[in-house]
Amino acid sequence: MLEAKNLSKTYVSDGVDYEVLKNIDLRIEQGECVAIIGKSGSGKSTLMHLLACLDSPTTGSVEVDNGDVSLLTEKERDLLRNEKFGFVFQQFFLNGRETVLENVVLPMRIRGASQYRMIRAAMDALEAVELKDKDDKRAKDLSGGEKQRVCIARALVGNPSIIFADEPTGNLDSVIGELVENMLFRLNKEKNITLIVVTHDPDLAAKCSRIIELKDGEIIADSAAKPDMGGTES
Amino acid sequence: MTFRDLLRIANRNLLRNKLRTLLTILAIFVGSFTLVMTNGIGDGLRDYVETQVKSREGSNILFVQKKMDLPETEANRDEPAEYKEKTQDDTGNTIDPNSYTLETSQIDGLKKDIPEIVSITPRYNLNGEYITLDGIKKYQLELGMLSAGITQKVEVGRTIQGSGEIIIPLQLAQKLSDDIQLLIDREITIGYAIGQSDEVKTMNLRIVGIATKGFFANSNSFVDSETARQIYESQQSTSQNYNKFWSFTLQLSTSDASKISKIKTSLNEKGFTAETFADQQKRAYDAIGILQIGLNFFAFIALLAASFGIINTLVVAVMERTKEIGLQKALGMGRAKVFILFSLESVLIGFWGALAGVVVGILVGTFANFVLIAAYSSSFEGYSLFSFHLFSIAWVMLLVCAIAFFAGVMPAFRASRLNPIEALRYE
Repeated sequence: MLEAKNLSKTYVSDGVDYEVLKNIDLRIEQGECVAIIGKSGSGKSTLMHLLACLDSPTTGSVEVDNGDVSLLTEKERDLLRNEKFGFVFQQFFLNGRETVLENVVLPMRIRGASQYRMIRAAMDALEAVELKDKDDKRAKDLSGGEKQRVCIARALVGNPSIIFADEPTGNLDSVIGELVENMLFRLNKEKNITLIVVTHDPDLAAKCSRIIELKDGEIIADSAAKPDMGGTES
Repeated sequence: MTFRDLLRIANRNLLRNKLRTLLTILAIFVGSFTLVMTNGIGDGLRDYVETQVKSREGSNILFVQKKMDLPETEANRDEPAEYKEKTQDDTGNTIDPNSYTLETSQIDGLKKDIPEIVSITPRYNLNGEYITLDGIKKYQLELGMLSAGITQKVEVGRTIQGSGEIIIPLQLAQKLSDDIQLLIDREITIGYAIGQSDEVKTMNLRIVGIATKGFFANSNSFVDSETARQIYESQQSTSQNYNKFWSFTLQLSTSDASKISKIKTSLNEKGFTAETFADQQKRAYDAIGILQIGLNFFAFIALLAASFGIINTLVVAVMERTKEIGLQKALGMGRAKVFILFSLESVLIGFWGALAGVVVGILVGTFANFVLIAAYSSSFEGYSLFSFHLFSIAWVMLLVCAIAFFAGVMPAFRASRLNPIEALRYE
């Protein structure tokens, strides 16, 4: 369970305050499939960063399983991200020189897991994204779709309760993109992993069970909070 | 991440840009090679001095001289020395503050005050004429004495223990016999002049040992102090300097360092300076130490220059890997781990550079020694220009790794402080 309470974020640039997020209240239950949409500059990426504990809010708080994240030390937040969150990014951020397995294993390595557990978890994750036979290939030799599936495996390997996907299909063509999307939705359903997708692609958002729309740092639509407004248009 | 993981990843990161890493290591290599060589020269000198001075031993021996305000032997003194009036000490001896010379009576009184003194031997100046085994073939004699309590290292035989004994130098022994072992316990005849006359007196002595080469015994023969006194009496009894000496040797009943230190203090209060063998050696070592520090200073500058290469390499690496670091931090890698990872990379550069410097340094030094020994062995026997001690080598390795670590602190700190959001957005 992930909860934002009265969340605000203000950036100061050249002495001018930019209020990127304004008083966001949000509650996401375990196993939900949520799309955060909005135009660029609407604050959707900032909201994701705050929810994922990559950034600290100016005011308000984020609670993960009823624990206030702002009360944690930096070390504890690192541990929280490592154990509970998985990340899928638009630009993949794979290490091309390393093997697929080595890329997938990274969160487990950071965690300090034993070699045996690390490799078993990685092979399970690769099986889930149907890339088990490519574990010893170099990441740079894969196609775009395969790369993103490796990223999903990497997000999955640590057995997270939430996966954050930032424009996961932004760099893929529609056919491959759909394949990757389906993989994410399947994980959401089968493993009850909360899926939070940040996107400006309305087709992708429409496949999520809940859509939160941001504009100028405020939630202007939340299909869960107000079911009667549950449209995808902005 | 375990330390082993970090080490493996750091090594792998260094191999990503092999040329850049190699060039940085090369710079460190030059610095550590220089340091190994300069250290090697210092250690070589020290070893040489050690083998030379260690040819004599005596942990319970003190060399005593009169304490002078201004050393009268100082050649290029700027001001003329002031004349000081002579005085009398409590036993009625004349004390001349302008001269180093001491009368035996001044020294003999010490025995009462310092109960640890076993014997007092003045340093007799002896003038030898010749030495001969068969009475036909004579060799020039450079004659010295061995004060009671001092051990002279010998190739064969033993050091002096009683009266009527002589130790001869190795080069003389080799002239006298093909098998120097056979010379031990043989009678040998020495000749010495009497007073200022041309009259030469002879004396038969027993060879007890063949001296190991060293500062003291390259060409000198040594007799025991009793024999030395007899020769001195017959040579100097008519001289006006009779029974005046520049230095004395005290044989003590203790070799305990703290007791000797107390005796030195009390001798100092009585107007003498006293030195042990260790003090004399320390003076030589201190001089070498200063030389070594001077040489190492230049090597250190080379290392300092090389450390900027490390800084540069790591700053570029942090820039290149901004996204990677951002991802690792997003996935929960803590600041400390990121810092350690980059520090390890810089320490590894230092380590490989130092190792290469040490290995090449030892090879070059050993080769240089080989060449030099072939060329100069006759004049500097037992001297190696470069000497490599495990301690010095370990010290160089540690120092270079430490310098590398400090060079890496700034880039590693920057990497550890990267904000993952900005790092992942970074284009």
